[in-house]
Amino acid sequence: MFKRLPNFAVTNQFGLFLLVIFFVLFFSFFTDGFSSRFNLFALSRVVAIDIMIGLAMMVVILTGGLNLSLGALGVSAAMFGGWLMETVGIPIIPAMLLTLAMGGFLGWINGYVTVKTGVHSFIVTLATMSIYFGMMTLFTEAEAFRKLPETFTDFGSLKIFNKYVSPLLLVSIFFVFLLFYFFKFTDLGRKLIAAGANPDAAELSGISVGQMFIYCHILSGLLAAVAALMLTSRIGAAIPSMAGNLGFDWLLPAFLAPVLGGTLLSGGKVTVFGTMLGAILVTLITNGLYLIEIGEFWIRFFLGIILLLAVLLDKAREFFAQKSNVLS
Amino acid sequence: MNNLCLEIKEASKKFPGVLALHNADFKLKKGSIHALLGENGAGKSTLIKIITGLYKQDSGKLLINNVETSLNSPTEAQNRGISVVHQERNLIRRFSVGENLLLNDLPKNKFGLINYKLVFERSKEWLELMDLNIDPRTVVSDLTVAKMQLCEIAKALSIKSKILLLDEPTSSLSPQETEHLFTVLQKIVREEDVSIVFVSHKLEEVFELCDQVTVLRDGKNACTSESINKLTRQNLVKLMIGREEQIIKSEKKVVSDQKTVLRLEKINTELGHHDINLTLGKGEIIGLYGLVGSGRTELAKCLLGLEKIVSGQIKINGNEVRLDSPKTALDRFKIGYISEDRKKEGLILMHNVLENAGITIWSKIKSFLSFLSDKAIHAKVDPFIRELEVKTPSYSQLISNLSGGNQQKISVAKWLAAGTDILIIDEPTVGIDIKTKSYIHELIIGLAKKGTSIVLISSDMPEMISLADRVIVMKNFKIEGNEPNSHNYADMSSKIMAYIHD
Amino acid sequence: MNFFPQEYFKKDWFGLLIVVLMSGVIISFFKPAFLSSFNLYVLMLSVSLWLVVAMSQMIIIAIGQMNLSVGAIGGLVAISFTGLMEVHGFSIPYAILTGLLIGLFCGFINGFLTVKTGISAFIITLATLYIFKGMNLGITEAQPFYQIPESIKNFGNAKIIGPVPYLIIIPIIITVMMWLLMNKTQSGRNMLAYGNSVQSSELMGISPTKVVITAHVISGFLAAIGGMLVVCRLQLGTPNIGDSWLLPSFAAPVIGGAVLAGGKVDVIATTLGVIIVAIISQALVIFKIDPFFVQILLGFMILIAVFINRYREYKEERRKKIFIYEASHE
Repeated sequence: MFKRLPNFAVTNQFGLFLLVIFFVLFFSFFTDGFSSRFNLFALSRVVAIDIMIGLAMMVVILTGGLNLSLGALGVSAAMFGGWLMETVGIPIIPAMLLTLAMGGFLGWINGYVTVKTGVHSFIVTLATMSIYFGMMTLFTEAEAFRKLPETFTDFGSLKIFNKYVSPLLLVSIFFVFLLFYFFKFTDLGRKLIAAGANPDAAELSGISVGQMFIYCHILSGLLAAVAALMLTSRIGAAIPSMAGNLGFDWLLPAFLAPVLGGTLLSGGKVTVFGTMLGAILVTLITNGLYLIEIGEFWIRFFLGIILLLAVLLDKAREFFAQKSNVLS
Repeated sequence: MNNLCLEIKEASKKFPGVLALHNADFKLKKGSIHALLGENGAGKSTLIKIITGLYKQDSGKLLINNVETSLNSPTEAQNRGISVVHQERNLIRRFSVGENLLLNDLPKNKFGLINYKLVFERSKEWLELMDLNIDPRTVVSDLTVAKMQLCEIAKALSIKSKILLLDEPTSSLSPQETEHLFTVLQKIVREEDVSIVFVSHKLEEVFELCDQVTVLRDGKNACTSESINKLTRQNLVKLMIGREEQIIKSEKKVVSDQKTVLRLEKINTELGHHDINLTLGKGEIIGLYGLVGSGRTELAKCLLGLEKIVSGQIKINGNEVRLDSPKTALDRFKIGYISEDRKKEGLILMHNVLENAGITIWSKIKSFLSFLSDKAIHAKVDPFIRELEVKTPSYSQLISNLSGGNQQKISVAKWLAAGTDILIIDEPTVGIDIKTKSYIHELIIGLAKKGTSIVLISSDMPEMISLADRVIVMKNFKIEGNEPNSHNYADMSSKIMAYIHD
Repeated sequence: MNFFPQEYFKKDWFGLLIVVLMSGVIISFFKPAFLSSFNLYVLMLSVSLWLVVAMSQMIIIAIGQMNLSVGAIGGLVAISFTGLMEVHGFSIPYAILTGLLIGLFCGFINGFLTVKTGISAFIITLATLYIFKGMNLGITEAQPFYQIPESIKNFGNAKIIGPVPYLIIIPIIITVMMWLLMNKTQSGRNMLAYGNSVQSSELMGISPTKVVITAHVISGFLAAIGGMLVVCRLQLGTPNIGDSWLLPSFAAPVIGGAVLAGGKVDVIATTLGVIIVAIISQALVIFKIDPFFVQILLGFMILIAVFINRYREYKEERRKKIFIYEASHE
């Protein structure tokens, strides 16, 4: 009886993969220029960043929480990096490391306050979103850093693989594999998952759950900083509004990717590859909608619908899985 | 003409893999207090859920006042006069007692606004009926559990319920509170024309309160609505477990020159433990006995550093230590805790066997860059899972798909793998079939023989007397007695009860 | 004579009232301009708007959920309201009515989806936030509607007496109605009961469908009113109305001691929360402090409020533990 139970994680990711293939074929046939070198390159640059944003949210969803401050945090870190590179004049590598440290630090604040107050991370990150973004605007006086080192900005416009792909995508894929390894094969990664899945049981098994949740928020901050650095490199400048007011533009892709990928909102489950596929799917559909000339203003509407459909499908699948279980 | 207010005829209910109820009968006479007994897994809770409209029977009939009825929801059951009294679960904790009693239909003025004066006046009447001397303006969360329960009964009466279902109502009450509850129940049966279904594990209470009894075993009736006068305690036990009550005669262990491993000196805790003194020798099993709410589990949590210790000393192997988290307890002092609530605190249901069994040893076997391989974990936990004879198709099976007994084995296995020196075992055999139960008993004795010191928390007197070397009786967060186990049931149980009830 | 009955000290709103009075006194001591007629007028205008927005969120907090789409509903209604008048020539009453219906409908969608699918309100309203906002942008193509009837402009500008704007009438009515709803009606009490414990309230025969949908419909209705009030005040219907509502909508109820897990909200305290936020924002303007400070400060105020609420809860738990311990040992 047990053997016949399909592994839903697998079917979910496989289904996503099929959807991706379907949309690629669909848009190649029905739009002009989808498979053009220019479009695929542009697509790869966007996908790269959406994957990172999705992963950054995923590691907090793991705790059963969420991180509204993701965009604000990422942009703040990137602006700090821009300041280091342009105004202070620190070499690129140390500047990037310090940027990541900043992201991690801001994530630590989120995690620390959430764990110590026992308040839901929603309200904590709502507050820190406002604080980070406000501080950042105050320090930068809402001015962009546009004279970043060329090596840094060139990376974002570099084209590889016969000029079809941006190297940014390779960076993201590197992180995907890194996180996959981390969650699957390391002591800490497993502890994070256990803490998210059942905090009480994990605590009694000798895991400091509070510590683990703080780590998740730090990781989220780090990944958001990576995403923001990649975005900076892509646009060629660090701009305060690059993720929208309060960094709110990141929120939808941040939730779409993990939710489509099959991450449980109640925590305790990560799907690194699913999140990647989710991000790819979202970017693909967005891009396709542009090409169909649906009107850029309707794109958000469709993304909202997709999120709704994704969660509804997830619910339906759960429902039918239970039903077939009962029947067998 | 019979006078049954509720009757169940040949009800069956099937779940995937189990036949939870098989042609079960149940007859509740008007104005009686009817005990419903059975071991865990005997089908009691399924029957209760059918009566309260949560489940629908696959076959068989349900009759209310001799009319065949089908109940599709708890609300519908309530409308037909059937109410369940849970422990503190049916009340809105932030609302006042009065508002809770009348929430279904609050009295309103001519503008449709709630008239609180009337709410408190009316609810006061119900409270008086229950001999409850509390202001209806009191917020529910300020009440003791016993009073909450009485409020729930008052609430059930206020919505004109004629059948009350009480599921383990005394499990966290003091003897005085239990006495009060019983007086009230007998009064409402007499005066308010109410019938009661009483579910309890405590046979003494059943004999004190009930006039009829139904026993379920393996989903079938072991007896149907017998008069209680015809039965003895031994009869009932036999009906419930299908054989005589028996105690493993574990030979008295020779505990000579045993080294004291753990010593508590004058421990006071934030939760209210007062002046706790305790010693635990190497390879010794001490039993903590007491009613639910006497502070046993809470004491365990204090030892793990989950609750604050205000004053006093904990000494491990003679050295004073500070325990601030389960992590410290496990990593530095090798103290483990097997929780009574395995689904909530013991296991991660959505994870598989290997992950659950290995959780305590991950940090120990990680290698370079904290690399952890399933193979290494497998090698470590496999002997224990085998030793415990866990029935699972594979180690990648999700824990939620295993039976209760096998789940409990896994939550024991992870602590065996951890190799603890001191193991706190909290209610190890609740909800577990007889076979696994005796298996776990042997295991505990075996562990102690190998030198593990064990603190056993149990409300199961026979279990306590079978296993413990010493029984420590707790009451109201204090230690009342410390009795070396004579392994003589009658002698020990009367001694223990004397500590609790004096 | 007991001027302050003891029980006032325990109320959520009492401490806040002191904060409001103190901050008013301190600010006007340093800057008497704070009490100028114009300043009070501006203060009241901002209170009027945020009051409606806060109530719209508060009722969802009461049932233990959250509504991210409050601003999106407000924005969609604002542009529909102005667009219908400008483009389709609707008369004012019809435009208002349609606006309200849109708000009700959006709220209904939120409530229906949440309660029927069992998916968290957070994710549902995140999706509808983008759906409503997307419709808004799709319809307007990000262009504002400028042609607003004079009578609406007048309503947005006129003062009843002294510095008191006409605009404040509706929010005051709403606040009173909300107080009655939450404290004196069966359906309000049902909502709070549901917020306290979904399971208990269901066992008590309260219908979750009814509770959740009612709360979301009221939330949508209030957001719609909020959107139209902004139109009156700005004298135009821009698509970005509502974009900045999220933070203030949570700030006031949280400062007012609302428990985000549900079951505890206080209309008076939320109102005072709105006033505190408005006074402090206004003070920053008067002291000529960078407006970005408002955002930072708002963030800190939420955090501080969360800390205080949490601390009080902790104290309360301790008190009850000891109380119950003693009661069972009597």
